[in-house]
Amino acid sequence: METLTAIVALLLFPGGIALIAVGLLYKWVNLKLLARAQNRQGPRWFQPFADIAKLLAKEEIIPDGVNRRFFVILPTIALAGALTAALYVPVFGVNPSYSFSGDLIVVIYLLSLLTLCIGLAGSNNNSRFSVIGSTRALTQLFSYEVPFLLAMLGPALVAGSWQISEIHDYSAGRLLLLSQPVGFIIAIIGLMGKLEMPPFDSPEAETEIVAGSLTEYSGRGLGLFRIGQGVELVIGLTLVAAFYLGGVGNPIAFVLKTLGIVVGLAVLQALATRLRIDQTVGLWWRYGALLVLAQWAVLIVFRAV
Amino acid sequence: MVMEEDQKKFVIPIGPQHPALKEPAHFELTVDGETVTGATARLGYAHRGIEKAVESKNYTQALYMLERVCGICSHVHATAYAIGVEQLQDVTAPPRAQAIRVLVAEMERIHSHLLWLGVAAHEAGFDTLFMFTWRDRETIMDALEALTGNRVHYSANVIGGVKFDVTPEHVTSILRAVDFLEERTNHYMDIVNNDAVFLQRTRGIGVMPKEKAEILGVTGPTARASGVTRDLRIDAPYSGYDNYTTEMILDDRGDLEARFAVRVRELFEAYRIIREVLDNLPPGDLTARIKRRINEAETVSRIEAPRGELFYFVRSNGSDQPDRVKVRTPTICNMASVLSLAVGHQLADVPMILVGVDPCFSCNDRMIRVKRSGHDHELFTWDQLRRYGIEYYQRKVR
Repeated sequence: METLTAIVALLLFPGGIALIAVGLLYKWVNLKLLARAQNRQGPRWFQPFADIAKLLAKEEIIPDGVNRRFFVILPTIALAGALTAALYVPVFGVNPSYSFSGDLIVVIYLLSLLTLCIGLAGSNNNSRFSVIGSTRALTQLFSYEVPFLLAMLGPALVAGSWQISEIHDYSAGRLLLLSQPVGFIIAIIGLMGKLEMPPFDSPEAETEIVAGSLTEYSGRGLGLFRIGQGVELVIGLTLVAAFYLGGVGNPIAFVLKTLGIVVGLAVLQALATRLRIDQTVGLWWRYGALLVLAQWAVLIVFRAV
Repeated sequence: MVMEEDQKKFVIPIGPQHPALKEPAHFELTVDGETVTGATARLGYAHRGIEKAVESKNYTQALYMLERVCGICSHVHATAYAIGVEQLQDVTAPPRAQAIRVLVAEMERIHSHLLWLGVAAHEAGFDTLFMFTWRDRETIMDALEALTGNRVHYSANVIGGVKFDVTPEHVTSILRAVDFLEERTNHYMDIVNNDAVFLQRTRGIGVMPKEKAEILGVTGPTARASGVTRDLRIDAPYSGYDNYTTEMILDDRGDLEARFAVRVRELFEAYRIIREVLDNLPPGDLTARIKRRINEAETVSRIEAPRGELFYFVRSNGSDQPDRVKVRTPTICNMASVLSLAVGHQLADVPMILVGVDPCFSCNDRMIRVKRSGHDHELFTWDQLRRYGIEYYQRKVR
């Protein structure tokens, strides 16, 4: 029985198929909102699904001069990492399937795996656009990762635990957004950096380096990376909503709170010009990291008092 | 990682097919990390042989062909050519025709500058501004269509005048469009001057001091953004521009921010000129009679196109076909500045710097025959060229 539950949790719900479907749906919500903010019509609801179906059905072209095994396995690892992370996170407002002390760190590591795989995929390549793109993707990873982690640890600090379910229990009913506004903003913007959304899309800036790391990817590989990004969007939104917006105790709260964040993300995407990679790094280390550390100092002082 | 064996350089190719450029041109950027250390350009992918083709058309047919040199600033090409032919025959277009030429030229400037603003914003990754400017640009496109019947190739000119009249209904609709656009342009002016994130990408990027601009021979808004006083509407007024108070928009900062500011301020200037033209439309004929065969002579006519100085040389041999038409479009003058400014900047800034001069590649491409004594065989005949092409690709496949 336990094995069956594990398989269902991994493949059907809350991980697996359900998560992938919701990830693509959230991608559509983001695209549609961004389009409306930019005075466009935007795609219909099944557009991301149609894209993925088409990509998965297409031939995967493996270019000359790459390590073939590496080329094929990287998208799989990226998606597997994101799907594994979902098991420790209260997606859809149901309790996490698994939980242990310190799983927050594991989840954040698993979420970084996608960017890491994209970076490696770019450098395992002869295309010059890919190489530049992977350099930028990894540079960006090193710049947002620390502030994002610190922002995620803010609620952990006040909850006195590094276990997601315990932090979630603590934050349920408490709007940590009000007591830790800096952490919330950094977490949101960190999520945008993680997902390479504009204005942090310089790793895949089409007007400079075509599609960055993924320039040479086609068919199945590209499709898996896209699915991975959708899954990561949902997990990131769940984490932020669970920690800062008073928890996602039931599916309705989950949908309302995560969609609320998506609206915020779309507005931020519509408002800003793409940052150069040096500006991104400067923004994160000069402002992001320092602000979130200052907030930590405040939290520690209050706890001591 | 691709390294050139001899020089160990990392070269980023941009074009001829690349999402940054919607037109074919090839740039090779040598980069060190993210910093550009060298830039070369290769043009000529869109050479269409128009200069040669008009030599086998009569003067009227050539007008329509030359209008198709550029898909954005088509009216200025036709105007420059028509004025040139009129000069050959010592005819001037009637005042009302001249006023209508100015009107269409300024409306075209509006649509060209709005288009550029959108493209430049897109290169910076600011797609919201791109979508908004292109939506607003439809207003002036609709006005142009209502006036001339076409959105792009208006065919407003005939040799000796213009083809259509401006009715009071046109005046009202154009004024309404201009009022709407002026309000919108205030908003764009605010973005260009005050949006902090946008300024991060434009302020201090691609700085071209006045001296450098003069050495590189840049024209148009790019030159005026460096403080070079160069505007043919004021320096050498044509088509009755001296009847209107035209102000030269200058900025001495010379960076991308200045190029944005100059072009957006030129929009306001265009709105003002359009209002002035419509207020004082002179009565009278639309065309002057002109003979089919043009006197044997040669002439030069210059027009301030949206991108800078447009130069036409027309030579007649007394028949009804032009003997030689030479076109020099502003982009070719500005291209050198791109290559020299790109060096030392970040890779991410290069598309912005390139678009900052408002390039238009398809009107750029020329064939030049270098004459050297005893080396005449450098010219290919069609058969030779075909054979050369087949052999070249056979070698390449092997």
